[in-house]
Amino acid sequence: MTAGETVQRLLATALTAADPGAAIATAADDPRLSDDDRRMIAAIDRDGFRISAMLVARLRLERLLHGHPAVDDWLARDPERFTEVFRHYHASVLPEAFFPPEEARAFDAWLSATGTAIPSM
Amino acid sequence: MIPVGITLQPDVVYLDLLDQVIRNDADYYEVAPETLWRQAPDGALLPNGFHRAFLDLAKEVRKPVVAHGVGLSVGTLSCADDDRQQMWLARIAADHRAFRFAWYTDHLGVSAPGGLAMTLPLPVAMTGESVARIRQSLANLQRIVPEVGVENSVFYYHLGDPLEEPDFLRRIVSGPGHHLLLDLHNVFTTAHNAGFDPHEYIDRLPLDAVIEIHLSGGSDSPGEWLASGRSLRLDSHDHGVPEAVWALFDKVWRRCPNLRGVTLERMEDTVTVPDVAVIRDELLRARAMVSR
Repeated sequence: MTAGETVQRLLATALTAADPGAAIATAADDPRLSDDDRRMIAAIDRDGFRISAMLVARLRLERLLHGHPAVDDWLARDPERFTEVFRHYHASVLPEAFFPPEEARAFDAWLSATGTAIPSM
Repeated sequence: MIPVGITLQPDVVYLDLLDQVIRNDADYYEVAPETLWRQAPDGALLPNGFHRAFLDLAKEVRKPVVAHGVGLSVGTLSCADDDRQQMWLARIAADHRAFRFAWYTDHLGVSAPGGLAMTLPLPVAMTGESVARIRQSLANLQRIVPEVGVENSVFYYHLGDPLEEPDFLRRIVSGPGHHLLLDLHNVFTTAHNAGFDPHEYIDRLPLDAVIEIHLSGGSDSPGEWLASGRSLRLDSHDHGVPEAVWALFDKVWRRCPNLRGVTLERMEDTVTVPDVAVIRDELLRARAMVSR
């Protein structure tokens, strides 16, 4: 993996962490990075990074809702609980699905693995 | 005269409300090819219903179509994304056979780092490695559509000095048939958030490489989004074009000798009845400006 690839992967992982601000601070100390790359990451605007993380999460949520009608219904019925579950999912499972059906399958697999059920109506 | 176009969004309300504007007031259309695909159970990428609708519309009114991709991820350095990119390029080729895109642009940045579906274009380090990778991505696209380019994306954080980005772009688009899509709201937004003069950024750009200009609007993030209470400008395409962006447009378009289109962008799910007149006026205003 080149230095550039390592930077891209570290930042992507930090963006989906439960606390992106803390994750980027940790990434800036990663021993695999050169001094220049550490300085570059340390200089990142933390607020801008957090906004980017929110937008990444929102885009993933939209992808999931488009692919999973039952989840869309869950969000409408109990937004607080659903948001809590989605945050946990987003921080636990790296986003590897580019289209709604894949995201829906990944979410269902995570629900099953964690023993979480979509509440019935 | 430089044509003025509008984005076609895969949104029934958007298309219904703007039907007459789209048909009568736009000279060309811009589509995001990925929004016109659906994924089959075996993973294959197939056209969705809007693909046919947009193709029929363009043929009926005899207006050209340009493509502005949202997810090829031209700056991905890892080969972990290669298979996906190959699949997308094959789909883009099929789309080009149908739409005959006048040109194809995508966003500067990486939206699939290491093959992860971040979806949002994220900044890349402005290194020689990144330049080489993005140029290669453009060359791959160029085997399908002869005229290609990258847009100056909006980034909410930066890897390096954002005022070095124009030179980074210059190195990327220096090849034959490689162009720059200049998004003025992205410049305005980035300058506002990062605290630099948008004119300084524009003055450093290779303006002779600009093939298209984007005009759009956005909004400010709610203060409660960030623990700091800070509000950042968002490139959300959910409001009209701000006067500051019109002012940038007025100053820059004449300095782009190879400009071939000015596109008004608006996001799906953001158009209501009162917006229709605003959007029509924006198209007419842009056309009047480039006609002077």
